[in-house]
Amino acid sequence: MVLDDLGSSLRGSLNKLQGKSRLSKEDVEEIVKEIQRSLLQADVEVALVMDLSKSIKKRALEEEPPGGTTARDHILKIVYEEMVELVGDSTEIPLEPQTIMLAGLQGSGKTTTAAKMAWWFSKKGLRPAVIQTDTFRPGAYDQAKQMCERAEVEFYGDPDEEDPVKIAREGMEATDDADVHIVDTAGRHALESDLIDEIEEIEEAVNPELNLLVLDAAIGQGAKKQAQEFDNSIGIGGVVITKLDGTAKGGGALTAVNETGSSISFLGTGETVQDIERFEPNGFISRLLGMGDLKQLSERV
Amino acid sequence: QMKSMATGRIIIEEEDLEGPLWTLEMALLESDVEMNVAERMLDTIRDSMIGESRKQVDTTAELVQEALYDALLDVISVGQFDFDERLRQADKPVVIIFTGVNGVGKTTSIAKMTEYLEKQGLSSVMANGDTYRAGANEQIRKHAENLDRKLIAHEQGGDPAAVIYDAVEYAEAHDIDVVLGDTAGRLHTSNDLMAQLEKINRVVEPDMTLFVDEAVAGQDAVQRAKKFDEAAEIDGAILTKADADSQGGAAISIAYVTGKPILFLGTGQGYDDMERFDPEELVSSLLADEE
Ligand SMILES: Nc1nc2c(ncn2[C@@H]2O[C@H](COP(=O)(O)OP(=O)(O)OP(=O)(O)O)[C@@H](O)[C@H]2O)c(=O)[nH]1
Ligand SMILES: Nc1nc2c(ncn2[C@@H]2O[C@H](COP(=O)(O)OP(=O)(O)OP(=O)(O)O)[C@@H](O)[C@H]2O)c(=O)[nH]1
Ligand SMILES: [Mg+2]
Ligand SMILES: [Mg+2]
Repeated sequence: MVLDDLGSSLRGSLNKLQGKSRLSKEDVEEIVKEIQRSLLQADVEVALVMDLSKSIKKRALEEEPPGGTTARDHILKIVYEEMVELVGDSTEIPLEPQTIMLAGLQGSGKTTTAAKMAWWFSKKGLRPAVIQTDTFRPGAYDQAKQMCERAEVEFYGDPDEEDPVKIAREGMEATDDADVHIVDTAGRHALESDLIDEIEEIEEAVNPELNLLVLDAAIGQGAKKQAQEFDNSIGIGGVVITKLDGTAKGGGALTAVNETGSSISFLGTGETVQDIERFEPNGFISRLLGMGDLKQLSERV
Repeated sequence: QMKSMATGRIIIEEEDLEGPLWTLEMALLESDVEMNVAERMLDTIRDSMIGESRKQVDTTAELVQEALYDALLDVISVGQFDFDERLRQADKPVVIIFTGVNGVGKTTSIAKMTEYLEKQGLSSVMANGDTYRAGANEQIRKHAENLDRKLIAHEQGGDPAAVIYDAVEYAEAHDIDVVLGDTAGRLHTSNDLMAQLEKINRVVEPDMTLFVDEAVAGQDAVQRAKKFDEAAEIDGAILTKADADSQGGAAISIAYVTGKPILFLGTGQGYDDMERFDPEELVSSLLADEE
């Protein structure tokens, strides 16, 4: 993985604190500034970054470091706690029968994620089925079908039907035997109100336990508006971050989680069906800040 | 020093610039301009303004804003050329390869481009150099059918360079003006796939390489534009999904790091949803919130 110079200036300022037991106001300000930079370069929303850095600054100045703790470790612990507070734990995914619908912008990785998640559930001993309701994108049916063949999971789609709501309904019936129904939808964005109406109808037809917003790790500040709209329309219970095998840090997902009051569920790390991981806060936060294992440190303090 | 009509002139000091520059930096970040790019532009403005004098009637903030407008326009206007004219003048067939990361809209942009060319009186053939992704052949074939264009495609797993090569031969034999070569999406961190892209570039020797990225992209736009330009030098970029309510600061990042022009905007999923890029329009919309 390319860990570019991002975070290196943060590491630099932190190293300057080595050996110090007390933080001066200037120390705190310098570090908070570096944290701001890291978060902004990770695509976290500007206003959210300002909020976060304000509370980090406040705590760093007000709280006494526990005995024997260096100033450096103390501030890192505060940063870690604030970040954990925001991202929370991985979305709870019970290993039981359920329906999960995927939504998101064009090209964000929904169809690939649908097959990956089905593969994941099948490895957990459940019987999944993917229902492809995208009647718009050319080749969407074939893409999902081929991905499901690779994942060795059940697939439903109807290349001759034009009504996604009908496919959704019929797909649920046809895959009745499956434990977990994963419903793929066509790509759409916040401004396409007719398509937003459409996904509401699909959601009514399949009545999912969970709606996941699939976000490209590289999405910028627009993540906020997109997350708001999808949340208003269908309610977002979790976020999937795709394409984390690149250099993008996925800060847009943090914004989305903050907007929707949800959490992150899965991470996509490649194009094959096995390239899926459950979200784990520590690794994600460390990546956002371009730093090593913060959890370990925070536990030590 | 020039004599002013105003009663007096005020020298601009570094402190006067701090506030306005900070506001503008935040505005640029909110528009998805990459941080280092934004800072370098603002540094230039700072250096050029310190010690200058201003009329009493102008505020420093206004002057900084104007300077930024010009600086942004400078960056985004880089290398603009008359795309249509270049194609008309070039020896036929003109081979254009589309590159970019996964899911940004390469294949759709090719479909739009073949329609655009048709309107310019140029015929084109599509070549599916994406022999990798599930459903890639079916997707581009459907576009070709919808538009009634010839498509050259091989089996999945085939050599992408060979597909494009075949399309060039087809174009030569059938007097087709332009070959539009698709490539599989790939992340710039994948060394194997970036090497494959280099190979395609070497073997096919395209007349033009267009880098496709999306308007909703954030800070990472810089990294990928740089890496793709290194692997297969680009002539220009297409910015898709401009309809998705983003400010499109990625355009600035891409133009800044590659020095290559943004040529087209994708504004929807229909075949007509592609426009020539207008630098001034983008800059105005980037700074709109501040005005
Ligand atoms: N490298 C990488 N590529 C991914 C990942 N997830 C998806 N992709 C690729 O991203 C592109 C888009 O993925 P799709 O699954 O088609 O996205 P989608 O959201 O279904 O797209 P639409 O249906 O058109 O809205 C494809 O090239 C996928 O192979 C990932 O985690 N890593
Ligand atoms: N809203 C909008 N959607 C677009 C635009 N351009 C492409 N899309 C959609 O984005 C999704 C991905 O487009 P593709 O053309 O498959 O992207 P690609 O870069 O070829 O993807 P891979 O080959 O998988 O890397 C599709 O759903 C397209 O319809 C655009 O300008 N606006
Ligand atoms: Mg899809
Ligand atoms: Mg494609």
